[in-house]
Amino acid sequence: MVNEERVILMTKLAVYEKGPGKLNVTIGSYFRGDYIGFQLLKSIISVTLASGIILGVYIFYHFEDLMLDVYQMDLLEIGREMLRYYLIAIIAYCALTYMIYSYRHHKARKGLLNYNRNLRKLSQMINNEGEASSK
Amino acid sequence: MTRLLVIKQYIKYYVARYEVYLQPLAKFALAYIVLQFANGATGYMDRLNSTAVVFVAALTCSFMPPNFMVIMVAGFVVAHMYVVSLECAAVVLAIFLLLFLLFFRFSPRDTLAVLLTPICFSLNIPYVIPLMLGLLGTPLSIVSAICGVVAYYSVSYITANITTVTAMAADDMAVRFRFIIDGILDSQEMLVMTAAFSVTIIVIYFIRRLPITHNWLIAMVTGGLVHILILLLGDLIWDVPVGVGGAVFGMIISIGIAKVIEFFVFHVDYNSTEKVQFEDDDYYYYVKAVPKVTVAAPSRKVRKIHTRRSKEEEA
Repeated sequence: MVNEERVILMTKLAVYEKGPGKLNVTIGSYFRGDYIGFQLLKSIISVTLASGIILGVYIFYHFEDLMLDVYQMDLLEIGREMLRYYLIAIIAYCALTYMIYSYRHHKARKGLLNYNRNLRKLSQMINNEGEASSK
Repeated sequence: MTRLLVIKQYIKYYVARYEVYLQPLAKFALAYIVLQFANGATGYMDRLNSTAVVFVAALTCSFMPPNFMVIMVAGFVVAHMYVVSLECAAVVLAIFLLLFLLFFRFSPRDTLAVLLTPICFSLNIPYVIPLMLGLLGTPLSIVSAICGVVAYYSVSYITANITTVTAMAADDMAVRFRFIIDGILDSQEMLVMTAAFSVTIIVIYFIRRLPITHNWLIAMVTGGLVHILILLLGDLIWDVPVGVGGAVFGMIISIGIAKVIEFFVFHVDYNSTEKVQFEDDDYYYYVKAVPKVTVAAPSRKVRKIHTRRSKEEEA
């Protein structure tokens, strides 16, 4: 005879595995620090690449002015200024990344805990059924 | 209404049953439409305008992850821009790269919103995007909406000024580059639209999560009004051209589309709401349960009616 409660539980587990569970299992396989650290590393690379693009666009935009004034410029000061902006961008972007991915990790762990609880329940249900049938 | 609900049940049933085939088919259809739209809006490279190329590209998208579609469309647009001028292609590529690197990675699941935003703009119903994202997404969906808006306005600025850009062929490369960058950065309309999209998504998101009756409808209408209000403010402060009649008409159509989405995603019967209160060892529970409106799809039984002839009669 079909155990309705068991079928419902199995369906719930299957839906979770197919949907958000897939991503959550990947997130949950990391320690919190590792996961956020990896995302922060990706953020630093992204900001660095984006800064390169912005710098390229800026140089090309002001190409004529830069060529005319290149000998009068304090290149060291400009370098320092650019580094300051770059660091501010990295800090701001990393702070945003930290907040977003901490929340995602927390949510994924919560979902996985619930999933594990349901798995245990299912396993217990199967054991109980086995014992009942052996009697 | 019952008939509609039965149709909905049938749709859900068949979508679930044939998901394996329908998912790639839907991706193919979406990719084909979006690529044809990109070709229609730009279309400067003849080779890419060929139906066979679009067909093969869409077919590739149907077997790849959804985000690949965004990359494919971006590739098409950059290639078209390259035919116009190298500077156009460089600017568009730089914008797309910045959007991918800095923004799109936070909400990669809203691919559909990014792809549909330019199409909805062309159909004069861009308002459906913030309504949809506010109702179905999270506040982070703002990022996808911004990506779509920026991409649309950047490309549409270049296509609108294509004659000027090509006429500047004799000028220095840097002059043409400056002209394009200035035009895109000075687009007040893009800024106003970005602000309107962001605020509308936030407003709709928070209202639809409130535990009040008809929260989705209230969220849609309030969001729509807020959106139009921001557009009018933009018109007052920066002289951004807003056709109030067109905006209101577009908003009504967008709310209509959002109502269809609501029918499929959040169709509940507020008249049968139940409020219960109970407790356990740790908590008091005040529960408000709103039932979903569902009907069982009628199952068709084929009954064969035939007279059974006895063997004796046959003999």
